[in-house]
Amino acid sequence: MSILSQPQYNPLPKSLLNTAHHHQCLRIRIYCSTTTAAAAATTTTATATKPKYNSQHHLVMAPTPPPQITTPPLPPPPSPTNQQRVMLDDPTLKSTWSHRAWLATGCTTVAVSLLKCVTGAVDSHTWQEPILAGLAGYILADLGSGVYHWAIDNYGDASTPVFGSQIEAFQGHHKYPWTITRRQFANNLHALARVITFTVLPVDLAFNDPVLHGFVALCSGCIMFSQQFHAWAHSTKSRLPQPVVALQDAGVLVSRLQHADHHRPPYNNNYCIVSGVWNRVLDEYKVFEMLEMVVFFKLGVRPRSWSEPNSEWIQEETQTEIPLLK
Amino acid sequence: MASLSLSFHKHSLPSLLPRQSPKALSSSHNLVILPKSSHSQFYSVKLSSSSSVSLPSSNSSSRMTFIFAKVNKGGVPPSFTLKDQEGRNVTLSKFKGKPVVVYFYPADETPGCTKQACAFRDSYEKFKKAGAEVVGISGDDPSSHKAFAKKYRLPFTLLSDEGNKVRKEWGVPADLFGTLPGRQTYVLDKNGVVQLIYNNQFQPEKHIDETLKLLQSI
Repeated sequence: MSILSQPQYNPLPKSLLNTAHHHQCLRIRIYCSTTTAAAAATTTTATATKPKYNSQHHLVMAPTPPPQITTPPLPPPPSPTNQQRVMLDDPTLKSTWSHRAWLATGCTTVAVSLLKCVTGAVDSHTWQEPILAGLAGYILADLGSGVYHWAIDNYGDASTPVFGSQIEAFQGHHKYPWTITRRQFANNLHALARVITFTVLPVDLAFNDPVLHGFVALCSGCIMFSQQFHAWAHSTKSRLPQPVVALQDAGVLVSRLQHADHHRPPYNNNYCIVSGVWNRVLDEYKVFEMLEMVVFFKLGVRPRSWSEPNSEWIQEETQTEIPLLK
Repeated sequence: MASLSLSFHKHSLPSLLPRQSPKALSSSHNLVILPKSSHSQFYSVKLSSSSSVSLPSSNSSSRMTFIFAKVNKGGVPPSFTLKDQEGRNVTLSKFKGKPVVVYFYPADETPGCTKQACAFRDSYEKFKKAGAEVVGISGDDPSSHKAFAKKYRLPFTLLSDEGNKVRKEWGVPADLFGTLPGRQTYVLDKNGVVQLIYNNQFQPEKHIDETLKLLQSI
């Protein structure tokens, strides 16, 4: 990466110098790009006349006029390839009101469950059991996410009833993994939110036990937000909020490194995407391989991960710092 | 008494080979006798001694053929004639006079079996140096074996045990309550006597290490 050339420099009134320099710095920061021969040549020339500062940080020009830097016009910022532009503008990445509605209902059912847990715990003065139940729910959610992810990644296709659209989405994700970071929030979570709404609502209506709700709230909440954790695992450290990075580093959320292993051939490990705490055990003891063998011998169906990676699996785009268009 | 060596914690499962009550036999049945300890383990069982076999009381008016369904160390396994990947008949007696490694594996083109076959391939020179032959046996047909051998450039013989008849005769235990064909390797010396039986479903490369270790010591 190289910093593109600076423009021609003219003396300015003192009051405007800081502002001008500030704008100059901003301009350099924004237009960082991959190195080209022209830019490299220009950069070499430009850095020869770096301005100097006195102790009060005012720009001080040398008494002799600096050499005139004639530089070619700044090349435009790197524009995405046509395919990337189409994908960034892809309406399927945007949230619709239906997505938002499902997300709202899902969050409401989880929130009600959590509220019932807290109020029940307060009323009965028992905190330990609901907290332990919540912890169990968090741990089980990770296992559940792994099993579901394994099944969706390996079996069925777009025409499979009920799960077809999810299977297609996961296959697309393997081809373009970075697009998950461009999905809008409700778009990313609405499918899971819909499932959570239907499963948690009856529990909310039928039960008041704080221990049960501790488990249900954490388990369902983690499952619903697993796609967000998944998206964070695909993002770069610089783009993530510090608390998220801290949680990933602490192993509370699935780490970027661990999930990256899932996107390398033979694509048959690290399926869990909540905390990833189950990944090591499941991979070390080859649990999914065992399940695949059982399905193969009982049903005659081979999982996708057994075949040579074909074009549908191979990641087509490596993640690049594509400028945010919006 | 069998001695076991384990590398990970084990899942001990009973073999689901068929057991027949001697009282239920008619004169035309073949009695399949199984010793008490027919276990399969997921991770590394090396059987180094034989189990005892008890015979049922015989009915004087019936004619029975006894088949010892388990091959034990120190014993001579039953002979077989199976087709190889080229469709040619191959008998076990063909290999008499040199050590032979007979490995039973679940199926062609599955991850563990591919790893195992490739590991045998990569160490094939060491087996040749020890004067041993390697023979793989699974329930797949000769055409499947041919494609598998060609794809991974396997230099040794693959035999089709269609119907898993030989697997049952030799007593190769199944895994996971009978859902998975077991992965078990036998090393026969130049006299055709079994010197090692090694079972490990999910660490296929270890079969090569264990068999080579034995071949280098006999």
